[in-house]
Amino acid sequence: MPSTSGPASSGRRTLLKTVLAGASVLSASALLEACGAQPSGKASAGAAATAGADTGKQIALLRVALPGSLSNLYPGQESGILNYIVAGICMEGLFGVDPSGQLVPGLATKVRKAGAKRYVYTIRSDARFQDGSSVTVADILYSIERARDTATSPSTAAYWADLDTAEQTGDHEITLTSKSGDESFVWLPSNADALWILPKSTWRKAGGRIGTASALPLGSGPYKVTDFAPDSHVELERVDTWWGTAPKAARIRFDFIPDDNTRLLAWKAGKADLALNVPPAAFRQWESAPRTRVVYSPDRSYVGLTFNTTVKPFDDAHVRKAIAHAVDRQAIVRDILRGHGAVATALSTPEQFGGLWSSAEATRRLAAVPQYDYSLDEARRELAESSVPKGFTTSISYPDTGPQLGTAALALAADLKKIGITLHVEELPIEQWLSRLGTHPGLGYMWYFNTTGDPGELASWLLGADNPARYANRRVTALLTEAGTEADPAKRAELLIQAQSAQAADVAYAPLWWGQSAVALTDAVGLKDYTSYTLLGEWPSRVYAAR
Amino acid sequence: MTRQILVFLVRRLGMTVLLLLALSLLVYGLMFLAPGDIARNLLGTRNATPQALDQVRAQYHLDKPFLWQYTHWLSHALTGDFGTSIRTGAPVGRMMRERLGLTAAVSGLAFLLSVLAAVPAGVVAALHRGEWLDRALVGWSVVGISAPGFAVGLILLYVFAVGLGWFPVYGTGSGFLDSLWHLVLPAVTLALGLGAFVVKLTRAAVARELDEDYVVFARSRGLGRARVLGIVLRNAAVPVLTSLALMVGYLFGGTLLAEVTFALPGLGALLEQSVLFKDFPVVQALTVVVAVLISLTALLADLAYLTVDPRIRNRMAR
Repeated sequence: MPSTSGPASSGRRTLLKTVLAGASVLSASALLEACGAQPSGKASAGAAATAGADTGKQIALLRVALPGSLSNLYPGQESGILNYIVAGICMEGLFGVDPSGQLVPGLATKVRKAGAKRYVYTIRSDARFQDGSSVTVADILYSIERARDTATSPSTAAYWADLDTAEQTGDHEITLTSKSGDESFVWLPSNADALWILPKSTWRKAGGRIGTASALPLGSGPYKVTDFAPDSHVELERVDTWWGTAPKAARIRFDFIPDDNTRLLAWKAGKADLALNVPPAAFRQWESAPRTRVVYSPDRSYVGLTFNTTVKPFDDAHVRKAIAHAVDRQAIVRDILRGHGAVATALSTPEQFGGLWSSAEATRRLAAVPQYDYSLDEARRELAESSVPKGFTTSISYPDTGPQLGTAALALAADLKKIGITLHVEELPIEQWLSRLGTHPGLGYMWYFNTTGDPGELASWLLGADNPARYANRRVTALLTEAGTEADPAKRAELLIQAQSAQAADVAYAPLWWGQSAVALTDAVGLKDYTSYTLLGEWPSRVYAAR
Repeated sequence: MTRQILVFLVRRLGMTVLLLLALSLLVYGLMFLAPGDIARNLLGTRNATPQALDQVRAQYHLDKPFLWQYTHWLSHALTGDFGTSIRTGAPVGRMMRERLGLTAAVSGLAFLLSVLAAVPAGVVAALHRGEWLDRALVGWSVVGISAPGFAVGLILLYVFAVGLGWFPVYGTGSGFLDSLWHLVLPAVTLALGLGAFVVKLTRAAVARELDEDYVVFARSRGLGRARVLGIVLRNAAVPVLTSLALMVGYLFGGTLLAEVTFALPGLGALLEQSVLFKDFPVVQALTVVVAVLISLTALLADLAYLTVDPRIRNRMAR
C-alpha cells in the first residue's frame, strides 16, 4: 500500500514531483485566470447529481491523466499511490480491496484462520497469467519471497516483518503464519498492501529489475502492460485470461503530467477522460472546466499535531491542552479546506471501519473520544497552570506539498500569539520534512494517509512502542495489545476507540482534520462507487461510457 | 603551431579530468550532507521499525562512511558502470541513454532558434542604437531574461496549445515530424530566455566595436558599409562565442523547468526527481555527463577563437 502523504494522496513520488511545481501553483493559477479561464457554469462539484447513465457501450481507449510520474511499475520498488493504481489492474495479490474497504478474493478464493496466527488461503485453480500460463502455488510462494526481499522490494519488504512462514499446505492451499498474531496481518498479501504475484520465470528473467521498461511486469489481472516509457506514459490492454468479468475499456493509457497547471490545460484541451488527485488549490478551476465533473471523497488521511511528551515544555499536559484549545478546527475546515474535509475527532478515520460500520456511524462513535473545543479562554487558563505561564517560543514545520498545512499553522500561530506563545512556521521540502519526522521534534505535524482498511493502522503506530510522541500510558498499551489480537472486528474497533479516548485525556496528539481527495471525469465517462478504496482495487470494472 | 594546439588540448583535457574528479567529490559531498533520508523516502511516513530502516540503508551501503561510499562509486564509475538507480531500480546508464536524445533535441532546437533569431537581432539593435528598434529589442530581451521559464511555458501553452490549438499540450509524440511538433513549444520557452541573453551580449559586443577607432578609420578610407560590418562582426565574435558556450550550461538548467512543464521525460526531469530523492547514482552520473558536455563545449569555443581571431593564433604561436 502507498506509504506516504501528499497533496491529494498522490504518493511519495508524486510528492517529490510536485515540489518544483508546488511553489508556482498559486501564482500560475492566478495567471491562468488572468488569461481568461472563466468558469463555464456547466460543471459542478457533486458528481452523483450530474453523472450520466451507463450506456453499456465499450470504451476503446480510456485516457487517464496522472499528477505524477512513474519510473517503475512494481510497487515494491516504487510505492507511490499512483504505482498502486496502475499495478492493481495488472497484478493481483491473494486478496484485493473493494470500494467499501473490505478485502475481496484475488488469486485466493477464501481465507480461514487456523489458530491465532495461521492463515490458510485457498488458491484459485482457474487463474492464468497474461501469457496464458497457469498461476501455480510455486509462483505465489516465490512472489512472496521476492516481496520480502529488500533488494527486490526495497519499498515494501519492511511490511513483511510480521510474516513468520509461508508454505504450501495443499494442492491449492497456502498457509501464512504471523509472528505476532496481529489482526492487521490479513491485509499483507493483498495487492492493496504488499503482494503482487508474477510468474517465477518473470521474476528470474527480470533479475531484480522488475517493473522497469526493460522488465515489464506480467500479472494475472485484467490488463496487460503493452507500452511503458518511464516518466512519460504507460499503456495497458485488456486480456481474456482474467478470471473475472471483462471491464468495458479495451485499452487504458496513463499519461504522466507532473505539473498541475499543465495537467489542467491538457484537461481543458480534451486530452484526458479521467484525472486523478485533482490538487486542492485548484478545485475551483477544475470544477469550472467544460464537460467536467469533480468528484470528492474522504481519502482516509489524518492531519494532526504531535507533541513529543519528553521534550520541554510539551512534557507538561497543560501546555499541550492549551495548544489543543487554541486550534479552531471548524474554521480550518470551513475556510482553509473550503469544506473539503472534516474535523478530526480521533486518530482513526471513519472510513477505516468499512465493512463494520457506515461512515456516519463510525463518525458518531469517534466523536465520543474527548475533544478540546476552540476556546482561547480555556487555552489561557491551561497555560497559566503550566510550567511556562508566561508563554514560550516554539516552531513547527510542514511539507511544501501541503500548503494547507502551512496556512493552518499560520492560523494557529495567530491564535497562540494571543495567549503568549510564539510559533514560528517553517516550510520544508517533503524529503526534509519526512526526515525531520524521524527526529521527533517537540511540536510537529503528522500527515498520514492510511494505507489499509485496518482501523488500527495509524492508532497502533501513534499509540504503540516507538511512537513519535514518545507517549507511554499503561492503560492505552493494554487496550492496544488487547485490540491487536481480538478477532471480533466490532470488539476490536471498540477497543481501539477506547485506547484513543484514554490518550485524548493526555493530549499526546491533537487531531485536526480528515482530508478529502478528488477525481475529475468528463461527461462521457462514469465511475461507480468512488471512495478512497475504489482505485486501489480492480477499478476499471466500475468505469462506464456515460450518456 | 599544430604542436602548440596539441599541447593546449592535452593541458585542457588534463584540467578537465581533474575538474570532473573535484566536481564529483563535491556533488557527492553535497548530496551526502543534504537533508533527507533515502530509507525514509523509500518507505514514506508509514511506520517503519529502526531495523527496517537500517536494512534499507545497508542495502545501498548508506551505513558506510562517506569516503568509502565515494570511492566505491568512483571505482565503478571509472569502468563505465554508473550503478543502479535507488529510486527506480533501473541501470543508470540505460536511464540516461533513453532520455539523452529528448533533452538533446529540445536543447539543440532551443539553441538553434535562439542563435538564429538573437544574433541578428543583437546586431540590428547595435546598428540602430538609441532608436525605437533598439529600444524595442532591448526591452523585449529584458522581458525575456526576467520572465520565469515555467510562466513563459504556461503562457505559450495557454495561447498556442489550448487557445489556438496549433501545438500539443504535453508529451513527446511519435515519429520524427510529430516529435518535432511536440518539441516546438518547449524549445521556444527555452529559446526566449536564452535568446534574450544573446541579444544583449551581441548588442554590447557589436556596439563596443562600432565605437573603436578602426571603424572610423575604415569608413574614412571609404570602405563600404558591408565590409566594415564584416570586420566589426569578426571582432565581436569572440565574446559572442563565449556567451554561446556558456549557454550550454544554462540550457541544461532551463530544460529542467521546460521538461517538467511540458511533461517531457528528459534528463532535466530525471535530475529534478533524483536530487529530491537523494538518488546518488543518478545525480552523480548526470553531473559528470553534464560537466563533460560543458567542458567539451568550452574547449570547442576556445578552438573557435583560434579560427576567428588571428591575434590569439599568433599569441599561441609565440
